[in-house]
Amino acid sequence: MATTENRKAITVGVFLALGLAIFILGVFTLGGQQKSFEKSIHISAIFDDVAGLKKGNDVWFSGVKVGTISNVRFVGISQVDVTMRIDQATQQYIHRNSGVRISSDGFIGNKLIVIDGGSPQAPVVTDGDVLQAEKVPSTDDLVKTLQQNNQNLLAITTDFKLLSHKILQGKGTVGALLADSTMGVQLRNSMANLQAATGSAAHLAVQLEAFSKKMNTKGGFADKLLTDTATFNRIKGAVTQLQQAAANATVLTNNLNKASNKLNTSDNTIGYLLNDPNGAAKVASTLNNLQQSSVKLNEDLEAAQSNFLLKGFFKKKAKAKADSLNHK
Amino acid sequence: MDNVSNIPTPKQKKGNTFRHRLGVFFEDIYKIHLFIVRFFKEAFRPPFEFKELVRQCYEVGVRSFTLISVTGFIVGFIFTKQSRPSLATFGANSWLPSLVSIAIMRALAPLVTALIASGKVGSSIGAELGSMRVTEQIDAMEVSGTNPFKFLVCTRVLATTLTIPILATYTAFIGLLGGYLNVSLNEGISYTAFVQQFFQPLMFLDFTASLIKSVVFGFTIGIVGCYQGYYSNKGTEGVGKAANGAVVTAMFLVFIEEIIIVQITGNFR
Repeated sequence: MATTENRKAITVGVFLALGLAIFILGVFTLGGQQKSFEKSIHISAIFDDVAGLKKGNDVWFSGVKVGTISNVRFVGISQVDVTMRIDQATQQYIHRNSGVRISSDGFIGNKLIVIDGGSPQAPVVTDGDVLQAEKVPSTDDLVKTLQQNNQNLLAITTDFKLLSHKILQGKGTVGALLADSTMGVQLRNSMANLQAATGSAAHLAVQLEAFSKKMNTKGGFADKLLTDTATFNRIKGAVTQLQQAAANATVLTNNLNKASNKLNTSDNTIGYLLNDPNGAAKVASTLNNLQQSSVKLNEDLEAAQSNFLLKGFFKKKAKAKADSLNHK
Repeated sequence: MDNVSNIPTPKQKKGNTFRHRLGVFFEDIYKIHLFIVRFFKEAFRPPFEFKELVRQCYEVGVRSFTLISVTGFIVGFIFTKQSRPSLATFGANSWLPSLVSIAIMRALAPLVTALIASGKVGSSIGAELGSMRVTEQIDAMEVSGTNPFKFLVCTRVLATTLTIPILATYTAFIGLLGGYLNVSLNEGISYTAFVQQFFQPLMFLDFTASLIKSVVFGFTIGIVGCYQGYYSNKGTEGVGKAANGAVVTAMFLVFIEEIIIVQITGNFR
């Protein structure tokens, strides 16, 4: 009997102890998850809107849970001061110029705070620091934007509805194109022409390609032009000579121009002869006089050949001429 | 003529019955009040019946462990299974551990334990004490100098108050295992990840509220069972009524207390 009672007592003891152990284990697991039993610091941030954030929500840094929200309270007129309990082990990684924003664990998940940014040059956070809160678009903002998009879409579809109605009625160019068979035929012809032009263009492109291939052929003219330095130098010399010739021609042209300009004036002999009618008459008179003088001189010379003083000279000359002809 | 006028009409009969029942109801409340006050007076005043307390803990706690374990496991497994389609609609299957933890820790573990205990322990206490009352064993104890209230009532109420929170803890733990088995079979999640997600949405308040509920439920089951049995009458019929009354009243009160405690703890969230 006593043994049975003892056994029962032991069983009850084990039963109670195990139950208590499970309960305590649960409490410690929860405490470990919420970092309730770890050393921590408190930092805060002030938001205009916390979007349903509440005490106990997580705090993430670089995607890792580093603490929980310990308090949410109103400050000022309508701002909200959120105090975060941060695990002291992660304090060294969070800098004072880090930003704080409200996010959520998935699309429909719990709200949480995300700490990000911060540069190593800035000092690390300490207990009581206030971090800069960043404003991010809330779900309401997204919905508003989506609503605006819907309105735009509605306007576009309304316009398109009117447009399609007009097209069906045959109004406008597109409507006429769809309704008028003549235009369709013309368009088809145009398309055929365009197709032919495209074919020609393609053919031209083929020819151009062949031509470019020839130009690229080794030893060809274009290739020599591009690659043979001797030919290039000769061409360069010829071009230089051409340039010089052109320069000389320019000078010559200028001189001729000047001379022709002078010919148009009467302050020089030729210009005077060309431009002054009196001068021309004088020249004509002079030439006339010279003609008359030469006739008279001819007569005088014939008379001189008959003169005895010069008669021997002319006989000798005639004889020498006759001898030379005989020798030939 | 006088005889005729003394016969109550059906309306008068109905009124009398209602008045009688109302009177009995308030009388019961008063008697329950006295019973509870007497319990607190007797329970913490020596001599203490430790052996009987241990025996009752064994009967109430250890003997109910198997039933509670199976029930807890099934609750965890089935609740997880039934919740999956709703969450899958939103593509939120990964939230199953969180959902299971909130449901089990905040409501199911204490409530299921209390309901099972109401059926098993409450009826057992009611029937046992009722039969002792009917067979005049309680009267015999009084005659022999043993305090029957201390020996029979205090030990049983203390046993239920102590062991039902422990049983609720087991239910929560085994329900967690059931939920994990289901999630593991379907989502292939590791135990570590499951436990992390299980505890993530919980707060110390949930543990405290669950503990308080279990204590209150345990006390209620013990007190109701003992009261129904201790004041049973009408022979063997009274034993059945005591057992039945213990179960029905305890279950009803458990639900009422659940609502009240949820409302109170909700104010602390």
